[in-house]
Amino acid sequence: MSTFKDADEVYAYIGKAMEACVSDPKFVEATKDGTLVVLIKQTDPESYILVDFPGQKVLVGDAAAAASSTVQLRMSSDNANRFWQGKLNFTLAMAQRKVKLDGKRTTAMGLLPLTGPIFETYKAILTEAGREDLLVG
Amino acid sequence: MTESITEAEFDKVFAEAEKLSEFFREIGPKYDTENTFAYPSIEAFKKSGLGALPVPKQYGGMGGDLLATSKVVSELSKGDSAITLAYNMHYIMVGITMGLMSETQNKYWLGRVADGDIMFGPFSEQRAGFSGLADMKAIPQEGGGWRLYGKKTWGTLCEAADIITTNATITDADGNLPENFEDRVNAESFFIGEFQVDENGQGDGISIVKTWDALGMHATGTQTIVFDGYYVPEDGFICEWRSGAFGVLEWASLMFASIYLGMQSRILEESRAVLSKKTLGAVFGATVAADVKVSNVGHIIDGVGDMASRYELSRRVLYRTCTEVTEGYDDNWPMELRFPYIGLAKTFIADNVMHMSRHAMSMVGGSSFKKGAIFERLYRDSAASMFQPLNADQSRTFIGEQLLAPEELED
Repeated sequence: MSTFKDADEVYAYIGKAMEACVSDPKFVEATKDGTLVVLIKQTDPESYILVDFPGQKVLVGDAAAAASSTVQLRMSSDNANRFWQGKLNFTLAMAQRKVKLDGKRTTAMGLLPLTGPIFETYKAILTEAGREDLLVG
Repeated sequence: MTESITEAEFDKVFAEAEKLSEFFREIGPKYDTENTFAYPSIEAFKKSGLGALPVPKQYGGMGGDLLATSKVVSELSKGDSAITLAYNMHYIMVGITMGLMSETQNKYWLGRVADGDIMFGPFSEQRAGFSGLADMKAIPQEGGGWRLYGKKTWGTLCEAADIITTNATITDADGNLPENFEDRVNAESFFIGEFQVDENGQGDGISIVKTWDALGMHATGTQTIVFDGYYVPEDGFICEWRSGAFGVLEWASLMFASIYLGMQSRILEESRAVLSKKTLGAVFGATVAADVKVSNVGHIIDGVGDMASRYELSRRVLYRTCTEVTEGYDDNWPMELRFPYIGLAKTFIADNVMHMSRHAMSMVGGSSFKKGAIFERLYRDSAASMFQPLNADQSRTFIGEQLLAPEELED
């Protein structure tokens, strides 16, 4: 059984964390001159989040799926929930085929060390929404 | 943007490499025979200043990239493969650490390398070599830092090194390794520290045990390093090991490839020197003639042409791979295949150097088989190319497995 009830929950929590991510000064600085647009395709429930770093905007759902991206990241919503709390080893997950990354991903991989503060933001979003059940111990 | 080495600067560096290569060539046979580390090489290497080649200029180095470093390693290897394989460890670890250390760590440790210190990195353990998650323990200490306990079996260059890098798994306070596989991956960590041992290889919580005795590459001094409470302060922690290494292992793979490219060049040089002059006189065998000059025999002509072709193809594969990685073209490869695709340069060159060392002996004849002959030496040393990860078998498995895997995620 999935962590999230439906795609709307994914957008409400992970989508919101991504909105904080694109306006975070460290991410803005690291991506401002680039073309990094990441399409996060999640399974179970199926959902799409487009994170446009240079444009500092986030799209979700059909609009995200239809937009063009430079990097495509696939993972289950459960693993996304763990990843955005800093509880998923990305390299191990790739080796175990739990995560798939396609496209121009050098910049995307370079952003991994910057993700720390986003973990806290995501956990704060879950807590604020009363969804402690989604927090991974 | 980091400032890279200029062509004029590289020309000077390469001239220095040619001199050092010549010195390695002179002393190499003695240490191959004695089966020990080539101790006079330490002062010569430090004096050459070549250890600072890959260190970025902002830390006092020369700013040499993968290709510049590769060219120098190959030149040195042309002089003596085993001695150079030892110092290759320094280049590998400098390349890997500089991509993973913090700015403060880079300033301190790379600053020391720029000033002449030598770095090495024992990682492999008896159980599963480089691929095995470290059984070596890093036990957290009250007041900070860790003490390391365990044994590393592949301590190339330890007899010359001033700085050690290694991997160990952070345990709980009682020294218990994480039980869960993912936790264990997360806890495996990359460290850097001082390497100070006396003339008997004894240091504070660390020691060298002289176990190196192999078919070839005698002068590498690839001894066992025993950690028995070696202390690493908190600022000696670099990063979680596997995730960190994933993005920088080109420094290992492509520098190993450079060693064997240098050996290909030496095999070709030595083969030409012998085969261009050798005469057989009157023979009655595969060839029947009154006076045979070897350089006029068809299979010898073809053989030397084949060697030169293999060398040139290998050179192009290696240089192009260095360039593609440096310029970011590896972004076009499937993510999962980045490491084995980079490794193709090494596996391609490994196949070719082993073929060439065998073929050279076949063409030169029985004299090449005698101890002390350069060809038997190159034959033995080239066999080492089978081992550094990923080897050809592992690479093909890795690639094939990825390409045959289903598109669906494994959940």
